[in-house]
Amino acid sequence: MHAIVAIKQVPDTSNVRIDPETGTLIREGVPAIINPYDIHAVEAAVQLKEQFGGRVTVITMGPPKAAEALIECIEQGADRAILLTDRKFGGADTLATSYVLAHAIEALNAEWPADIILFGKQAIDGDTAQVGPGVAVRLQIPLITYAIAIESFDPVARTAVVHRRIEQGVEVLQTRLPVLLTVEKEIAPVRRAPLPRMITAARYQPEVWTAETPVAFDPRQIGLKGSPTVVGKAYTPAPRAGGAIVTVADCGVEAAVARALEVMGILDTVRSSVAASAGVEVA
Amino acid sequence: MPDRLSYDAIVVGGGPAGTAAALVMARGGLSVIQIERGRFAGAKNIFGGVFYTHALADVLPDYWERKPPFERPVTEQGYWMLSPDSALRIMHKSEQYRQEPAGAYTVLRARFDPWFAAQAVEAGALLITRTTVTRLLKDARGFVIGVDTDRPDGQVYAPIVIIAEGVNNLLTRQAGLIASDLPPRYVALSVKEYLSMPPKELQARFGLAGPREGVAIDIFGDATLGLPGTAFLYTDQAGISIGVGMLLEEFVCHRLRPYDVLARFKNHPVIRPYLEGSESREYGAHLIPEMGYDRMPRLAGNGVMVAGDAAGMVDALHREGTNLAIIAGKAAAETALAAHEQGDFSAAFLSRYRRDLEASFVLKDMKQYRHMTDFLDSTPGFMGTYANLLNDAALRYFTAHGIPKRSMEREIVSLLRERRSFTGIAWDMLKLMRAMRG
Repeated sequence: MHAIVAIKQVPDTSNVRIDPETGTLIREGVPAIINPYDIHAVEAAVQLKEQFGGRVTVITMGPPKAAEALIECIEQGADRAILLTDRKFGGADTLATSYVLAHAIEALNAEWPADIILFGKQAIDGDTAQVGPGVAVRLQIPLITYAIAIESFDPVARTAVVHRRIEQGVEVLQTRLPVLLTVEKEIAPVRRAPLPRMITAARYQPEVWTAETPVAFDPRQIGLKGSPTVVGKAYTPAPRAGGAIVTVADCGVEAAVARALEVMGILDTVRSSVAASAGVEVA
Repeated sequence: MPDRLSYDAIVVGGGPAGTAAALVMARGGLSVIQIERGRFAGAKNIFGGVFYTHALADVLPDYWERKPPFERPVTEQGYWMLSPDSALRIMHKSEQYRQEPAGAYTVLRARFDPWFAAQAVEAGALLITRTTVTRLLKDARGFVIGVDTDRPDGQVYAPIVIIAEGVNNLLTRQAGLIASDLPPRYVALSVKEYLSMPPKELQARFGLAGPREGVAIDIFGDATLGLPGTAFLYTDQAGISIGVGMLLEEFVCHRLRPYDVLARFKNHPVIRPYLEGSESREYGAHLIPEMGYDRMPRLAGNGVMVAGDAAGMVDALHREGTNLAIIAGKAAAETALAAHEQGDFSAAFLSRYRRDLEASFVLKDMKQYRHMTDFLDSTPGFMGTYANLLNDAALRYFTAHGIPKRSMEREIVSLLRERRSFTGIAWDMLKLMRAMRG
């Protein structure tokens, strides 16, 4: 069994503040952590390895500092870690990022085809939840988002049953392998790493892949060049003014609706017609 | 047991004592595992204060080329004596302080300790973070042979364990090196804030010519409500470290809340203008062992040594501790190297560590100031009385009243006598001198 997990190092947004003047994140002095959903994806992969044998490979794209997050994955039981780092990868949006990760996974598949690929459901810094699905589409494999449990996994029959969270409840899906999951934290509780794993990880050096070697990436599809997304404007919305409370028991439903529409500044015509039909005098 | 984890030495703690020990042992060719409970070395520390470089040079002669994360060289230092509305300041500024590497730098240990730990790792020590040592492992003879941690399969073995666990001396007690927890009379609580400020503004306020100048001020008197203790104010690269330290017992006896004491100090009319417009970035409190020479733990047992705060290595009078810890960590490491050479890890052999420290300034200074805490304890009004006295005298001296100077002098003298009799003053000074002489 070969599981590939894609992770991201993010600023600890529980510590982050917004610069009131520029509207951007103040990253200075904010500790970097592994994206909280991603470590659960690693744990789920490690549990599959414990059951079926095989290997867990972790990949990330980021600055050299992101090696810290990979080492944390080695602590949790991953076997191999690859850091995709190059100035040419910088400034990537979700489109360029999904290209780089998909291309790297294809290279890994050539060595040992992955049975399952795992992502966290989203990164807490951007919250787009687009990169995992983007990679699934590029690899042309089934995608299951918001996965909360792997009910069964059969690397021989090449099928799995996965539970995913939907608004109304839980969807139970059977899929063929390989499959790509983006996971919620419930997929697997993170266990405390044993001391021998900590020692292995402290000595571990992630493999570094650049834009050219050992895999060549298409220069037009990576970094800023490969990123069509434009951020028009980032701003903090003004706090909403307090609403008005209209007690229905005091004035009846129609009057209450009329008052509500008035407060919201809805069209005069609506207001007067509601008022007329309700026989309410509009001040 | 074929796959049990074994090293030549285990170091508990990622502070200066532990890191100095790990660094020296790793350079000496031992396999070393250093275990730190925080997320990184220095994570459990709130120290923002003065760091003396002589100790660092002792373990890392080329430290300057390794770009330590110092804040500012201390180019001006001294004392402020506060009365409720005044301050008498004695500051020393000198060109001698401006040559770098300087003898003293302000340092934020949350930045410094990770750098120092990285030097030990580079020398070959294995640093394991986020892991707490829960107990010592002993063999049938009672020799310490390893430690257990809070991780699965968490036991690790070595013939020598150096405890540098800091002020909460759980393992030191377990090793039987000290009988009990520290009584509140011999532990200070320091409550501290880091306030950020643009460097230009900071330099203008403190009269600093640029980023290569800094101030370290120790403050007495009203800062601690006249009680034994000190306050401090140090300039960092882009901020101020400010805090108040008093014996835990004082907080308890006078029903004081540490944060109230700090807030009151920050609001003092002389202090407040220096802080205005700054932004609070970090707030915390930490215990400082001030047990003194006579109540220190035994420094070595069978298979074990203790260094740094855990051993009470603090010179409160000169706000030294980090440098004592580094020297002690190095001395323990050298003893460990010798023990490996001889194959002897007994308490008798390891007592060499204490002998080395007795010969160095570490225990010489601690011995000299062994009665300091008791002096302040037996002279509780000392700080407050004299700080107020000095300020009142200064006010009269510097004010033109239109009265003859002779009467002004008499007024000052009678002021003295009101507050404290001549024999009282003589007695205080005699006691102080005795306490200073050791």
